[in-house]
Amino acid sequence: MKRNAVVFTAVLLILAFVAWAGWVNFKARFKSSSQAAGQPSASAVQGKPAPAFTLEDLSGKKVSLADYRGKAVLINFWATWCTPCAIETPWLVELRNQYAAQGFEVLGISVDDIDRGDPVKLKEEKQGIARFVRKMQMPYPVLIDGDSIGQPYGGLDVLPSSFFVDRNGNLVAEQMGVTSKEDIEAKIKRALGER
Amino acid sequence: MIAAKKGIRMTVALALISAAALAQGQRSLADRSGRSASKPVEYLYPEQVTLPAGKPGMVGLHFRIAPGLHINSHTPREEELIPTTFSIPEGSGVRLEGASYPPGAEFTLPLEPKTKLSVYTGEFVVQARMVATAGNHLVEARLRYQACENNSCMPPKTITVAIDVIGK
Repeated sequence: MKRNAVVFTAVLLILAFVAWAGWVNFKARFKSSSQAAGQPSASAVQGKPAPAFTLEDLSGKKVSLADYRGKAVLINFWATWCTPCAIETPWLVELRNQYAAQGFEVLGISVDDIDRGDPVKLKEEKQGIARFVRKMQMPYPVLIDGDSIGQPYGGLDVLPSSFFVDRNGNLVAEQMGVTSKEDIEAKIKRALGER
Repeated sequence: MIAAKKGIRMTVALALISAAALAQGQRSLADRSGRSASKPVEYLYPEQVTLPAGKPGMVGLHFRIAPGLHINSHTPREEELIPTTFSIPEGSGVRLEGASYPPGAEFTLPLEPKTKLSVYTGEFVVQARMVATAGNHLVEARLRYQACENNSCMPPKTITVAIDVIGK
C-alpha cells in the first residue's frame, strides 16, 4: 500500500514536470516567433544604454553616437544589397523630416564590406554606398563599416536592424526586419518621450 | 506487489516520454535557429564524382534553400544585389571551366509588389564544367550567396562544397 502511494506520487510529479516542460517550450516558441515577425523584444533592451560607437561617414569625418546626446536617435543598420532596407528607407526619410524639429535624428549605418587595405576597392565600395544614398535621398548622416560595431548590437544577423535611443542615450526599442511605417513611428515617439 | 510493479513500469515509461518531449522541444528550437540563421543553403550531392582525367566533364551540383528563404539568382536584376556564384579554388587539382546556373524565378516581396527580383527557392542545380587531373582530389569548392526572407536579409555567405573528384 505504502509502495503504491510512492509510485502514485512519483507519477504525479512526472506529469507536473511534463506540463512545466511543455509550458516552457511553448513560451520559448512564442518568443522566437514574435521576434521573427519583427516584434521588438523590448524588455531585453529597455532602459539599457545604447552601445557607444564612432564611425566615419562617406567623407571620412568621424561621427559618434555621443554627439547626439539630448536627441532621440534611430540607429538603422542597412546594406546596398538588402532589398527590404530599400523598402524601409523612404519611410525613415519621411519620419526623420517629420520629427527632426522635435530633436530626432536617424543615423544610417551601412554594413557593406569595406576593404581598407585596397584603396581602389575601397573607393568603389564607397561609391556604391553613395549611389544608394543619392537614390534614396537620405538627408541624415550615413556612416560606413557598420560590421565593426555589430557585436554590441547583437551581431546584426539580419538587416535592416534598427535601435531606438532616447534623449538620455538609452535604448527604448529595437526592430529586426521591416515592419511598417506606423510601427517605426510609434517607436520614434517612444524615443522622443511621447506616449 | 503486481500493482506496485505496474506502477514502477508506468513511472519509467512516463519518465522516458517526458525526456523525449523535452528533447524534441529543444531540437525544434535548435533546428529553427539553424535553418534560418546558420544554414540558409545546404549542399546536397554528389559527394563523389569520377571524371575522365584531363577532359572536361559536367557535374550537376544540388543545393537546397531553407523554407521561407530565397537567394538571388546568378543574374539578379539590380546591380547592387549579390549574385549566387560557384567557384573552385586554384590548386585543387580540379579546374572550373565554367558553370551554368538555372534561370531565376520572378519574385516580389509582399511589402513592395512593384519590385521584381530574380531568385532561387527550394532546390536548385548548378551545372559545373570541371577538368580534373589524374588522381583523387578532395575539392573544397565554394558557393557564395545572399539570402533573404520577405522582410529581412542575412549577410552574404560563402559555404564549402566538399566533393571527392576522381580523375581517371
